[in-house]
Amino acid sequence: MPVPLQIQDLVKHFGKTRAVDHVHLEIEAGELFFLLGPSGCGKTTLLRCIAGFHQPDEGKILLGSSDITRMAPHLRDTGMVFQSYALWPHMTVFQNVAFGLEMRKCSRSEIQKRVREALATVQLSDQAQKKPNQLSGGQQQRVALARALVIQPRVLLLDEPLSNLDAKLRLEMRAEIRRICKDAGLTAVYVTHDQKEALSVADRVALMNQGVVEQVGTPQELYQQPRSVFSAGFIGETNFLDARILSVERGRFTLATPIGEMESSSAVPEGTVLGDPVTLSIRPEAFRLDEVPEGMPNCYDAMVHDSIYLGETAQHQVLVGEDPGFNLKVFDLNPRIIAREGSAPARLWVERRDVIMLPPSGSASRPGSSQ
Amino acid sequence: MRKSHALMVYTASLILLGVGFVLPLLMAIRGGFLNPDGGLSFAYLRGVFQNPIYVEGLLNSLRLALGTTLVATVIALPLAWISTRYHFFGKGVLTALLLVPMILPPFVGAIGFQQIFGVYGSLNSVLGWNIDWLGQGRWMGVVVLQALSLYPVLYLNLSASMANIDHAMEEAAQNLGANAWHRFRRITVPLMMPGWFAGGSIVFIWAFTELGTPLIMNYTRCASVQVFDALKEVGDNPFPFALVCVMLLLSVSLYSLSKLLLGRQHYAMQNKAGTSFEERRVRGPLACLLMLPFVLVISIALLPHVGVLLTSVASPGSWYQTLLPQEWTWQHYEEALGHSMTLSSIRNSLIFSCSAVAVNLLLGIGIAFVVVRSSLRGRHVLDTLAMLPLAVPGLVLASGYLALSSLISHSAWAKANEELFRFLDIRQNPALFLVLAYSVRRLPYMVRSAVAGLQQSSSSLEEAAANVGAAPSVSLRKITMPLITANLIAGALLAFSFSMLEVSDSLMLAQRQEFYPITKTIYELFQRIGGGVFLASALGVWAMLFLAVTLIGSSLLLGRKLGALFRV
Repeated sequence: MPVPLQIQDLVKHFGKTRAVDHVHLEIEAGELFFLLGPSGCGKTTLLRCIAGFHQPDEGKILLGSSDITRMAPHLRDTGMVFQSYALWPHMTVFQNVAFGLEMRKCSRSEIQKRVREALATVQLSDQAQKKPNQLSGGQQQRVALARALVIQPRVLLLDEPLSNLDAKLRLEMRAEIRRICKDAGLTAVYVTHDQKEALSVADRVALMNQGVVEQVGTPQELYQQPRSVFSAGFIGETNFLDARILSVERGRFTLATPIGEMESSSAVPEGTVLGDPVTLSIRPEAFRLDEVPEGMPNCYDAMVHDSIYLGETAQHQVLVGEDPGFNLKVFDLNPRIIAREGSAPARLWVERRDVIMLPPSGSASRPGSSQ
Repeated sequence: MRKSHALMVYTASLILLGVGFVLPLLMAIRGGFLNPDGGLSFAYLRGVFQNPIYVEGLLNSLRLALGTTLVATVIALPLAWISTRYHFFGKGVLTALLLVPMILPPFVGAIGFQQIFGVYGSLNSVLGWNIDWLGQGRWMGVVVLQALSLYPVLYLNLSASMANIDHAMEEAAQNLGANAWHRFRRITVPLMMPGWFAGGSIVFIWAFTELGTPLIMNYTRCASVQVFDALKEVGDNPFPFALVCVMLLLSVSLYSLSKLLLGRQHYAMQNKAGTSFEERRVRGPLACLLMLPFVLVISIALLPHVGVLLTSVASPGSWYQTLLPQEWTWQHYEEALGHSMTLSSIRNSLIFSCSAVAVNLLLGIGIAFVVVRSSLRGRHVLDTLAMLPLAVPGLVLASGYLALSSLISHSAWAKANEELFRFLDIRQNPALFLVLAYSVRRLPYMVRSAVAGLQQSSSSLEEAAANVGAAPSVSLRKITMPLITANLIAGALLAFSFSMLEVSDSLMLAQRQEFYPITKTIYELFQRIGGGVFLASALGVWAMLFLAVTLIGSSLLLGRKLGALFRV
């Protein structure tokens, strides 16, 4: 039965570094929950705390209604898929999958039945008697998944399960893992550094940075309503502009920016008052170069240069504002203007709701906006 | 490596190994199957199994080997387990000390062992008992002594294979509900089996054919001593050769089996992406508890040698039914080091060992280059051949040399040119054969060491040198050699210390006093009535000190990599 998982105020130190820093998460029963972040952000440490391989220094982990914070790993009923798969090379595929059931003292006939079902779920029924090293990377991955699933864990833990696969297999397995988790109704925690994986598979995502949870939300919320410069920069590409709030009227903010005045209808960061500095995040695809609709406030004269033409889209560098101008990155769908050499004049515009206001931050700490 | 060069080195090493290793091996085998009239005969081989004395000897040797391997495993397993998982104060020193018994010759230790555990020894005098700890037949004594000197081989293999296990393998089991015992039995043990088998087969073969320890412990009913005694007799008795054939067959099959198993299970080490073991740092009472087995094993393993040390400074007759000698003296050292036999034996051992190391270095580097850096089709044959001496007991090789030499010296050709062929007659001058024996038997360590060094320094480093204009000889001298020097020195030191303490070949091949190496001199002194034991101990202590320095040198140079030398 799927159960909810609660992480309460968890802290884990390694020497002096704080790998997990007061993390608080509530994961619902049956939810496919992602921990996303750059390497070293503490996501794997958090996962290993849930599995019991790390002992947290502070805080609690609740699985269903039981506190498992100090419970030994082998009593937790968490099925984990390891990054290296950790398939035991001296056992066959069948024996690997059966191991957890043997530990649970299941009868021989039940083991037979459940292992066969689990292998069928991952489409490996005909490979049961092979040794792991006779399988391809994708098949090994499936065995690891079957081994974790067969014990019907209270929560499934996946530690970068696709990082050792090639790009094509990764795409296949993404969908496969989501299908399997949803079919089994599993509560699952999935660690990855691949934002595309997280956006395409997750129910909800916790974005982590330096041990801290930056933001929790659905993939759409995370992309469209980032709440920090880090969130906006880590997921997708974006343009950052330093701005100041000039006035507000019925949820519409007027802002002073390096490219002139701009209006925004997005949520304002907590505790911000008139005159405060904010950082604006505007996605490259939110900027438009086509015909300006009537009454559109955020319109600017611009020079398009260094276009990269990709057929259905083009990626431009666009200079806006007084000389020398402010450089923006713009993705243009169904592009009309292409400036490979020299530059072309154009009108640049953006809708109010696509101008996202974030708490200000020094430009030094921004993650690369050009990834 | 250019193909013509590779081919040259390949042929040269093949010829040298052929003459120094394969030929004597064939001679030993031939000796067991040859009729007096020159025909092939299985009568002697059958004879071995029909003679109850030989059968008993073989069975006893097997029991010795089994017992030694078991006891060594019992000693090494917990130590390896602790040392791969925990870090505590003093661990570095303790693990280094753990290796010391390996270079202390057990047959020298046997002298001290008897002083301590004999009926009139230290232990009984402390306890006030009258038990013969060595037991009737002394089987247990030999097993314990051998295990105490051979456990480091197992320890190195076990800890290397444990450290190689992807930590996630155990975590996965734990995650699926396996407790500590289940994890150990179902995951850890099977995964380290190749390491255990690799180390275990070396220990088994070593103990199976060990000559020195049973000799000194006066355990004569084992195959090695029987061969030794029979070969001492004059005349061409074929039975010792037949016995040697049986021992060789057993050793080689065990070795091949371990290679086979290792080859098949070698995938266990392929999972590299995972987390390695995090050594848990412990302090306080737990750390003391973990240190205890180390301290215990080291002190017990060193006990026989402490006994030797005490014997060497005890006045004759002053260590009898007492814990320690009652009177001390330096006299034995003066006497031993003033003795003509000891001085010449030290000189002999140094000359033989240094020459063997020189041959080893040359062969080892050459073979390693061919194996790692060339694409010659037969290079694996050479690699296998160079490792094969691990499976061939020194006793077998020695008897092969004896047979070879007697064949040569009896030939009409040699009789006609007596002066010229004197150095080919072991009875007259064993120097050539001793050097050959020493170098061939320690070649595996040298080759492993050089191969490891070459594999670690990527060939792209040499290519980079060539790319900026370095000729092959220049890049060899300026790039490759400096990178593998540490490995070469360590391998050479190891080969050297083993040669200095080599027992079976030394005892069997050196037949004239002027050519005795140290080990033979210790044995001869030990057998003398009167003060011989004391002189033997003094010489033994000198040799152990000398070797302790070499081992410390090589372990400083190689650090943890030392373990790689002892893998099959």
